[in-house]
Amino acid sequence: MQSSHPIHGDPRLSRFDPLSRVIYFDDFDQGMNGWTTLVGNYEGSIDTMTRSYARHTQPMLSQMTHWDSGTHGAFDGTYALKIATRAVPGERNVGIKRITFRKAGRIRMETYFAFKPEASELKLSDIDVRTIGFLYDLQDGRERVMPHLRYLNALDGKRMNKWQFKRRTTPFRSIGGRGETVTHDHLSPDDWEDVPGGAQKLCYNEVPTKINWHYLRFDFDLASMRWLGFQCNDQVFDCPDVDSIKMPAMPNLSCMLNLCFFCESDTEKRAFFYLDSVLLSGEF
Amino acid sequence: MSAMIRNTYTAVIARGDVWRQSVQTEPYEAAWAGEAIFFVRVMEATGGGAEPPAATAVARVQISPDGLCWVDEGAELEIAAKAESLSFARVANFGGWLRLDVTVPPQTSIKVVATLALKA
Repeated sequence: MQSSHPIHGDPRLSRFDPLSRVIYFDDFDQGMNGWTTLVGNYEGSIDTMTRSYARHTQPMLSQMTHWDSGTHGAFDGTYALKIATRAVPGERNVGIKRITFRKAGRIRMETYFAFKPEASELKLSDIDVRTIGFLYDLQDGRERVMPHLRYLNALDGKRMNKWQFKRRTTPFRSIGGRGETVTHDHLSPDDWEDVPGGAQKLCYNEVPTKINWHYLRFDFDLASMRWLGFQCNDQVFDCPDVDSIKMPAMPNLSCMLNLCFFCESDTEKRAFFYLDSVLLSGEF
Repeated sequence: MSAMIRNTYTAVIARGDVWRQSVQTEPYEAAWAGEAIFFVRVMEATGGGAEPPAATAVARVQISPDGLCWVDEGAELEIAAKAESLSFARVANFGGWLRLDVTVPPQTSIKVVATLALKA
């Protein structure tokens, strides 16, 4: 317990456990807070963009209104950030916020999240969302490092219910003729690995229009570029053998600290990933 | 929402998409916004002809109670099927969801950037 922590004087913050400095606290009742869509790189023509990125769409502010029960609302207030896929199996969508870091120290991401398929059928639908997850895109003076964490809810109609990470991305592809722009699909379906001991059942609830919020905390050290562990609700994962996608530092990404959330659909139904709020804190 | 200043957000709802025949944009939730403008910019057109009268696509603004079923709001964009044509439609009091229901004339396609400029 951290009952003496000064944030407990603020009810909106008292459900978080931030490190000593808050880098940002994005409550989506206040607006989009700098969250936007992740577009792929391009040069000369937008058609040079990798198709999976070209399919990404803009995040929304949702009050989670349903045909059967009206407005659900967010964890607090009315609105949550909503990342929605198209209604195509395997489709994904990604929301991103881009900042830089001022000290390569320990950082902590916390969020309250929920996910559901579109309520287009009168059935349980608990295996219609394939994945939800998040990633950092980071760079120090030596490397570009991309920790990826996802909850594999279902795959090709089979219930999976486990956390995964990845250490490999697709080969780089040059875009355009100037030699300045490259792309890679670090969120491709390939090369995901199971987090050791990473099985977890979440609270889906019984129909697509009932939403239960979950807590996620992810700790990372920017000095060593190592995972420090994560927590989802009552399960804590230490991750001593988990690592990130790593590649040589790129020319124009110094001190990059990007945070992305993503989701994928497993069926011909839109997958919805909701974030009530996101708190990024650090030691600096 | 902040009471200090009016929130605004522009969503790109079609980014280099090629529209042919009948197309519906993805549902966009914007209950927080009191007003919106749809813009459609044509990047390229085929089959419409560069000389007037170019073929015209029609995009009807639609609203929804739940994001599942849709009805025409009444506003429409007339989109000239020629490069760099720009059209818009203003809407307000639209509830929770917005999308475009687009009809492109036969033998015509348009590559577009469509945006939704929202304001609280």
